This record gives sequence, C-alpha cells and structure tokens, in this order.
Amino acid sequence: MNEVISLDVRTNQILLLQSIWRGVFAVLAAAGALAPWLGWVTLDSNWQKLLVSAILLIAAIASGIGALQLTRHRHAGRMISLALDYLAFVACAVIVLNTGEVFIGIDALGETFGRGLPYLGIAVAGYFLGTIEDRFPKRDVSTTTSLKTVSRWIILGGVVLFLWQIDAVNGVLYFLGKLLQPTGLVAVAGTLIFGLSLWSMMRSEVAEALNAKTNHEQIISGWLFLSPNLLGFLIFFAGPLILSFYFSFTDSDAFNPPNWVGLENYARILNVRFAWLSSPTQLAREVVDIKVYDEVGRLALGNGGLLFAAADKFFWLALRNTLTFVLFAMPLSVIPALVLSNVLNSKLPGMKFFRAVYFMPSIAAVVGIALVWQWLYNATIGYINYFITVGIEFWNNLFNLAIIDPKIQWVSDEKTALFAVILIAAWQTMGFNTVLFLAGLQNIPGELYEAATVDGAGPWAKFWGITLPMLAPTTFYVVSTTTIQAMQVFEQVFILMNPPEGPNNSTITLVLYLYRSGFQNFKQGYASAIAWVLFIVIFGLTLVQFQRQRRSSIYES
Amino acid sequence: MNTQSYKFRRFLGNLGVYIVLTFFALVMIFPFLYMITTSFKIPSDTFRYPPRLLPRDPAETTVNGYDEPLPLYYVDVDGQQKEYALVQSNIRVGTYAPPENLTATVERYPSEVKPTGGAMNPQSVTIDGKEQKLFDVEVDGQVTPMILVSQTTVGEFIDPQNPEEKVYRNVRLSQPVENVSWHPENYEQVVELNNMSRALTNTALVTILVVVGQLATSIFGGYAFARLKFPGRDTVFVFYLGTIMIPFVMLIVPLYQLMVLIGWTDRLAALIIPWIFTAYGTFLMRQHFITFPKEIEEAALLDGASRFQILKDILVPASVPALATQATFTFLYAWNSFFWPLVIINVGNEKNHVLTLALNVLRGRASDTPNLILAGAAIAIIPPLIVFIFGQRFFVESVAGSGVKG
Repeated sequence: MNEVISLDVRTNQILLLQSIWRGVFAVLAAAGALAPWLGWVTLDSNWQKLLVSAILLIAAIASGIGALQLTRHRHAGRMISLALDYLAFVACAVIVLNTGEVFIGIDALGETFGRGLPYLGIAVAGYFLGTIEDRFPKRDVSTTTSLKTVSRWIILGGVVLFLWQIDAVNGVLYFLGKLLQPTGLVAVAGTLIFGLSLWSMMRSEVAEALNAKTNHEQIISGWLFLSPNLLGFLIFFAGPLILSFYFSFTDSDAFNPPNWVGLENYARILNVRFAWLSSPTQLAREVVDIKVYDEVGRLALGNGGLLFAAADKFFWLALRNTLTFVLFAMPLSVIPALVLSNVLNSKLPGMKFFRAVYFMPSIAAVVGIALVWQWLYNATIGYINYFITVGIEFWNNLFNLAIIDPKIQWVSDEKTALFAVILIAAWQTMGFNTVLFLAGLQNIPGELYEAATVDGAGPWAKFWGITLPMLAPTTFYVVSTTTIQAMQVFEQVFILMNPPEGPNNSTITLVLYLYRSGFQNFKQGYASAIAWVLFIVIFGLTLVQFQRQRRSSIYES
Repeated sequence: MNTQSYKFRRFLGNLGVYIVLTFFALVMIFPFLYMITTSFKIPSDTFRYPPRLLPRDPAETTVNGYDEPLPLYYVDVDGQQKEYALVQSNIRVGTYAPPENLTATVERYPSEVKPTGGAMNPQSVTIDGKEQKLFDVEVDGQVTPMILVSQTTVGEFIDPQNPEEKVYRNVRLSQPVENVSWHPENYEQVVELNNMSRALTNTALVTILVVVGQLATSIFGGYAFARLKFPGRDTVFVFYLGTIMIPFVMLIVPLYQLMVLIGWTDRLAALIIPWIFTAYGTFLMRQHFITFPKEIEEAALLDGASRFQILKDILVPASVPALATQATFTFLYAWNSFFWPLVIINVGNEKNHVLTLALNVLRGRASDTPNLILAGAAIAIIPPLIVFIFGQRFFVESVAGSGVKG
C-alpha cells in the first residue's frame, strides 16, 4: 500500500526532519538524565535527581522508538512524537511563565486589581447587553445589530480600561525583562521549537502520509482536551495523595529531608492500654506506666472500673470529640431537614421563598458565621441566653413554677462547648440537606400516593410506606455527605473557641489535631498518619452506611 | 357541615405548616439579622442587656443657656414619665438622721450642712462603739445635729422646654432616651483597621481566577470524557470518580510541602493554581455533556468544524445554566475557604490575606468591639448572599439536580 501513495516532497522533508529531531531529542534527554549524576546540574536532594533522571530517561527511550517508527513511516511514530513534543511544550511554557514571575506576580496584581474591578464589571455588563437579543425574540433587526455593536464596544472599552487600571503594560514589560535571563531564553526557545514541531506533525498531510485513521484524530483530541485537567490533577491531587501516604511513614517536618521511620507514627497513634481499676477513683499511675501512657477516660463499673490510657491522648480525645460531633450534628441536621422538606413539598404558595431562606446559611463563610454565633453564645449579653431567660420566665409565670435560669457558659464550659459547635454546624447544613431531600421527594411518582390513598392509607402510613423507602438513595447521599463533612470539622472550632481545643480539650477534633501537629509543631509525618487514620474512619463509616442502604433497598424489592 | 369542617381543618393544617416554616425561617435568618444590625451599633450599645436588635444612640438636645448638647433621660416627674436633659451628674447627696432615731432620715447636699460646733471644733457621738461626726441639718426651719448615714450621687435634670424646672434623680437608675441610628462608619473603621480592602480585592481576584480556570479545565476535560473515544479514557474516568470522596485534609500536608518546594508559600498563586483542576467539576461537566444529542455534533463535524469550534460554538452556549451552576459553587468554595489559606499564607503577611484570614486576625484584634467584628463578618458574608439572591435558581436547583444523580 505504501508505494501507491505518492508523498509530496514537503511532507517527506517534514518526516525526515522529524525523525532526525526525535533522534536529537533522545540524545539530549539521555544527556539530561545523566546530568545530575555527573554534577552538571545541582539538585537539592537524591529523590529530585532520581525523578528528573527517570522522566528524562523515559522521554529519551520514547523518542528513540518514535524516531525508529517515523523512519518506517508508521503512525505510532507520529503519536509518540506528538505526545513528547506536547509535554515538553507545556513544560517549557510553564518554565517561561515561572521565569517571567507570572505566578508570583499575582501578588502584585492584588495591589492594582481593586482599581480595575469596576471596569471589569462594565465589560461583563456589556457582554450581558449583547446576550439580551438572544433571550428575547427579535422584532427589529436593526436595533439588535446595533445593540450587538454597542455591546462589543463596551466590552472592548471595559477591558482596555481594566488593563490600564491594573497597570498591565508595566506587568508585561516586567515579564519580558525577566525572560532575558538565560533560563528564560532557553525556555522561550524550547517553547518555540516544540511548538513548531507539534504544528508540523499536526498537519493533515503528515497524518495522511502515515495512514492515520479517523479514530486517531479522536485519540489525539481526546488526550489534548483532557490534558490540562489531567496534568493539574496528577500534580496537585494524585501526586500529593501518594506523597501523603509516603510521609506517614517518615518523620517529615516540611523543611529537612524526611527519614523513614516505618510504622512508628501509626504505632504511636494506636498505642493504647486498658487497665482494670480496683476503685473508680484509683489513680492512673498505679495501673499503667504514666511515662508512656496518659489517661484518656475511665468507666466506673460497680466497685471497680476500666481505665483507658493512650500514648497520644490528644488523638483519642480528638477522635472521641469528632465522633460525638458526628453523632449529634448529623441527625440534628438531617432529621429536621427531612421534616421540613416534606412540609415544603406541599403545593402551597411561598414554598420557594422558604426554600431560599433555609438555603442561606449554607452559602455563608463558616468563619463569619462562627464569629456571629460567638456573640450570640455570649453568656452575659448574648441572645441565646436571653431567649432562654425569657422562655423560662414565661414558663414559670404560666405554670407558677420556679425553674432556675441556668445561665449557660456556652463556649467556656467543657460540658457545653462541643454542643455549641454542633448547633452551629447543624444550623448551617440543615437548609442544604432540606433542598437535597426536596429534590428526592419531587422524583417520587405521584401515582404511588394516589394508589395508597385509594387503599385508605393515612399520611403516616404514606410517609413510612412510600416516602422513606423511595427516599432511601437520597437519604444515603445526604447522610454520607453530612457525615464526611462532619468528620472534618475544623473551622467552626478554630474560630469559636479560644484556644481552639476548648476548655479541657473538650473541642479538639481530628482535623484540628492534624493542623496542630502538622503546622504548629511541624510534625508533618505524624500529621499525615493522622490524615490516613481519619480517612480510614470516614471510609469505614461510609461503607457501613452503604451496606445498610443496600440491605434496606433489598428488603423493598 | 361536613365540607365546612373539612375546609376548616385544611385551613388549620395550612396555618400549622406556615407557622412551622416561619419559625424555622426565623431561626435561619436571625443570626444574619443580628450580624447586620450589630455591625451598625456603637460599642456601648453592643454590650447592653437585655439585647436589642436595632442600633440605638443616646438622644441629645440643645437647651438655651448651655453650650454643649445635653443627653436626654426619662425622668419620673410627679408620677409622669418625661424627657429631661441631664445638666450635671455626680452631685453628692448625703442621707442624714438624728442619732436617737436613725430611721427618720432626710437628704441634703453636703454643701447645705455644716459640722456641729463649726469646722474648728467638730463634735461627734458614739453609736454602737463607732465614733460618728455630727452635722447641723436644717429641717423645717429647725437645726438639729444629725449623723451621716449614707452617701449617693444624683444628677441634675432640667426640662428642655423650661430650663428653670429642675429635678434631682439617680442617673444610673434613669433610662436614657435613645433613638434608632445606624453607624455605617463602623465599616470604614474596620476596613482601615484591618486592611480589609486589600483582603477583599485579593479574595475577588482569587475567586475570579479559580472560577474561570476551573470552568475552562472542566469544560475541556468533561468534553473529552463525554464525547471522545480514546484508549485509557475509562480507566482515567474511574480514577477521577474514585478520588471525589477523598477529603481535602488528606492533601494538606503534601500540598504544603509541594508549595514549599515550588516557592509558593505565602503567595496568592498557592490559593489559585492547585484549585483550578478538579475531578468533581470535570465529572459534573461530563454528566452534562453526555445528555447532549450527538447528531448536531456529527453534522457539524461533517461540515468541517473542528472539535474546539464545536465546543465553543455549540456545546458551551447551550450549557450556560450548567456552567452557571458550577461557577456559583466554585465561587462559594473559593470565597469561603479558610483552612488552606490559613496554612499557606503567613499571619504577618497581611498583603496576601483573603477575607477569611482577615476575619481571623480581626477576631483577636477587635475582641472587645463586636460591632467591628460583625462588620468584618458582614463584608465576608454579604457578597455571596448577593450572588445567591441573583442566582438563587442556579444554586438551589443545581444542588437538587447534581447531588442526587451524582
């Protein structure tokens, strides 16, 4: 077949050049892989050397294979070529941006951006002016065209003024100036070379010459479209996730090279002792080695008791508090939501208004909300205690009782501190859950209720017999997302409590403890281990809920 | 009769529904109301008990013959509540009683009485083993020696209309006259005090870039997953799906170290670039694009349109609601995020603070002025609320749509 197709001269030249380029690339990449070991380039640590060498070595081998395939006029050569050139192009472009201090320059943009913001608003308004025509059926062609022109000019004017206000010219000049250093020039040259090579291989003549099939085009555009997302995802999500697992086996402190410590971090977390007490008030040091273990809690059993002690008592206190938080915050935000959604589902006027009002807390910043509640919780002047006082007075007058006003010290009493956090969290997530339940309710076919009415079922029977079982998938979703979120409680506690761990460690949570270990004591290896334990707990809870949901749905079918 | 009672019962039922709904609506709205009204108060008003919702100022009035405006108080005059102006406070008043009958007290200003026997030779009497000074007090034209039982201070109040009319009352027990008045200058003050304007700009910048960047990568990624067939696609997609459940706190330590390595600690870039790439957003976009009829696209391909053109001219314009939904959620996430900025931006580097960080600093800096703290909180909370009011449909309906299907 190959002989039949006559290749035009130019395409032939491109292919030849490309084969040579692949060879050169392979040699350069191989040299680059050796560079750190021969001392041509200095890198900070061994793992960096290894990583760079490994990547370049793979690139060299791939490029070599690509060159071979291209000389044989195989399409695989084109694919390898495109992939390598694309990755190298992206890498060079990122280096160009980095050398030009674009990423760091965002800080400087923060200084001028505020001045430009109104003009950006004008440009956006101009855009919406242009879309008016699309929304309403056109009546007069001339007005709509003039509207489009006006909108275009407004956008242009807005953008120009915006750029002028944020001092874009100086920014670009600064960028170009920074590029003049050797790294910048090499990166710019690299971007151009790889870009040119990409462009030449993307040409349809070249594709035809190598017998490209239509699905090849899909493969290329598929990876191309996915690549920005995938690259970022690998660098900022998947990579760190693997690193996190690695760190949990080290004594990493973020600044010095980490040392491998094996399971030590996990062993410290899980190092616990149970001991029998001969009396409920027996001292811990009489039953456990208090050089290693701290008392976490005790359980009085008749004349004796059971003591729970752990090497890291804060972790177990945090786990206890977090689980308590989940145990209360989850039902408190799910059950009222279920009730409210059923009420909202009635076809009365004004339901959309209530739905919107209930949704409001979930869009506000947790930090701001916690500050507001901090003052509501204030024991002497806060509204919550005021309402309690008024309520008790009313109650006492009504029934002639003498209930004493408790004057709760919400956040400074270790008995109520965690409950104060729970209330905020429940208040904030309830509306969101209501909307989720409402959506689930609206998916239940009305015929089911009609049939039940014919059978003489009352509202309660309908709720237990139809609504709850039909809502099971929604309930599973709501319960599991609320649980996952509640397990990570941090911001409310951090803002509401002073200090964040609360009176007598009553509000220390797992994420708060993780933050304290990792970013205040800089025991980042230990913090990673806490993160993985947290993940396992979350995963376990979700799995349990999933099993329950599956079992209940089996019963129904 | 029967239909009537049915109607009545339905009316009662509906009334019950509205009462329950209104109660919960009040619970939901009250903290916001409290935040906004308190942010307009003067500091002394915020510490008042019982608390009041609306901000109030002590009322003042100008009275002929006085240079300064005088504060107004409610004063009980002849059994009537009247608004009187306070002219002078801290006037000392002594309660005197004759030593033989301590219950027969009279009140006099210290200037009205003289020590018995004159200042040079004061006399005294011993009661219950304690020596007490004697004073000459005039009662009904008669001078009697009495002892000082107790001392208080009162204020001199005058009728603003008739400055000659004076009464003396205890100032602390008198209710000041107060008018509802708002103090928007609290906002100016908090912006000045805490570099809030810079924090606001930074938050806007970070939010805009994250929203735009995330939409772009999600559109491209979602399209690739939904419409293009290529080897490895399904594996990558399953991988993406698997990571959606992974909580963010898992990443915080390694991501921090990555930022240390790149040199982005303390930089706004650290708040933007890592958050542009999201598995969840890509997944949502894929779910959206997959519902599109394939025929339109195939026709466009036959006409020689490129994939990029199809995406730009056909799919994206038709997906504005879905994009708006994702944009609103990303907006909220970026605007409200606190944990990551807390970790990555230094407390001292206020130039790069975002609103949530500024609030955290404000919390310590203005801990005794709730009006300022809540003004700061309002600055952080109100922009999303405005976006919510305009984009309510996108918010609520998208939660409804995306959550359950996903």
